[in-house]
Amino acid sequence: MIKTATTLLFSLFIFSFSQAQMERTRANPDGPVDETFLTKNIGGLGTVQLLGKGDLNSMIQHNFGDVRGGIDTFFGVDEGANVRIAFGYGLTDDINIGIGRTSEEDNIDFGVDYRIFHQTKSDRIPVSVVLKGNMGITTGEKTYDPSLTERLNYLGSVMLARKFNDNFSFQISPMVSHFNTVVKREANEELYNTVFGLGFAGRFKLNERKSISFEYLPVIGDRISDTKNHAAIVYELETGGHVFQMFFMSGRWFTEQHLLTRTQTDFFEPNFRFGFNVNRVFGLL
Amino acid sequence: MKKLFLTGLLLVLSVSFVSAQSFKTEEGKATFYSKVPLHSFEGNSEKLVGLVNLEDGTIDFYIDLETLDTGNGKRDKDMKLTLETKKYPFAEFFGKLDSDFDPESSSVQDVSVKGTFKIHGQEQEIEVEGTLQLTDEGLHVTAGWILSLLDYDIEPPKILFIKVDKDQEIKIDALLKPVEG
Repeated sequence: MIKTATTLLFSLFIFSFSQAQMERTRANPDGPVDETFLTKNIGGLGTVQLLGKGDLNSMIQHNFGDVRGGIDTFFGVDEGANVRIAFGYGLTDDINIGIGRTSEEDNIDFGVDYRIFHQTKSDRIPVSVVLKGNMGITTGEKTYDPSLTERLNYLGSVMLARKFNDNFSFQISPMVSHFNTVVKREANEELYNTVFGLGFAGRFKLNERKSISFEYLPVIGDRISDTKNHAAIVYELETGGHVFQMFFMSGRWFTEQHLLTRTQTDFFEPNFRFGFNVNRVFGLL
Repeated sequence: MKKLFLTGLLLVLSVSFVSAQSFKTEEGKATFYSKVPLHSFEGNSEKLVGLVNLEDGTIDFYIDLETLDTGNGKRDKDMKLTLETKKYPFAEFFGKLDSDFDPESSSVQDVSVKGTFKIHGQEQEIEVEGTLQLTDEGLHVTAGWILSLLDYDIEPPKILFIKVDKDQEIKIDALLKPVEG
């Protein structure tokens, strides 16, 4: 009896004292993982990393001629830059829209990203899945007079990514590109309006501010004559306001439909070009 | 022995019934203001957890710092890095009422509280001025104080472009509901 009573008394004491200070528990242990990648793009490949609601990202992307020109072309820099200026905006945390303009072919593109799944810290959802659509209009001068429809190009992509741990993320993105018009320049050239690809991307975080990332975009199935698979290796540096990305990439473009169909340098030859992106995020809300 | 036990039980039960005088919330509002010309911003969270025990005067509040939202994803990330939220996820205060409070009154009463505030792994004894008001819905708590980042070894990394005020104004506003039982 006494033993039972003592146990009861002891339990009540414990209960009483437990009222003194609450146990600290995390507010959202099953919340979404953050920062699978640093930005919406690595070199030219899109990522599942979307802008938060109300965030505006301005991005300037450049690359130069291929490095094989050596010192005569200052490793491609003298050959002039292909520049894409782009803006992305987070309508919601899961829906982003964007517009960009590439100096090559004066291509203006409109994009939308829609996140279906967001990987959770608890692994209840093990991967993030984002649908990406992009439509470009080539507004540059042509040797013929194409209609508006003939100037259009498209990309559809499903991006599946997983942040395996704090230091490593990986993404696979099957995609399809379509050009309403393809122009034959040589008699035996093989052309396709629709080209499929499978993008691979990864990020190795070096510390809170720096990472090394890569992207590889092989064509799956029919490919346009003389094109190669795009690849890039990227050094990313984050400061308070900006993310700088410096890279060697084989493709000349920053839109995936063009990387699939216009890349003519082989990264593993090796042949590539130097380039860099500057990203700046503004909060508009 | 039996008498002693009953006395003990009575004592403990009386302490336990303190919970009838306890109020708790998990949805209080906390705001901080960083005021630097051209770089002013504020951060908010509505996940402030608080427990006030009017019987013994203990005040216990904490917040998961990763719930703070400054309205800019990039700035949120910089804030979390600066506060090292992975290592120190909570800001917490534990202390006691240091002034009189009339539990029979339903008017707003100015109170002061003394206790330990902990953030970024550092503790400081602080005194906070605030108000308490008993309403039909529960206990309404407001408080505010100035938090000096240097007191808690909080220093934004040099690489950041964002300018942060060394003295941040903190405000909390919460309606705590009576704890059942």
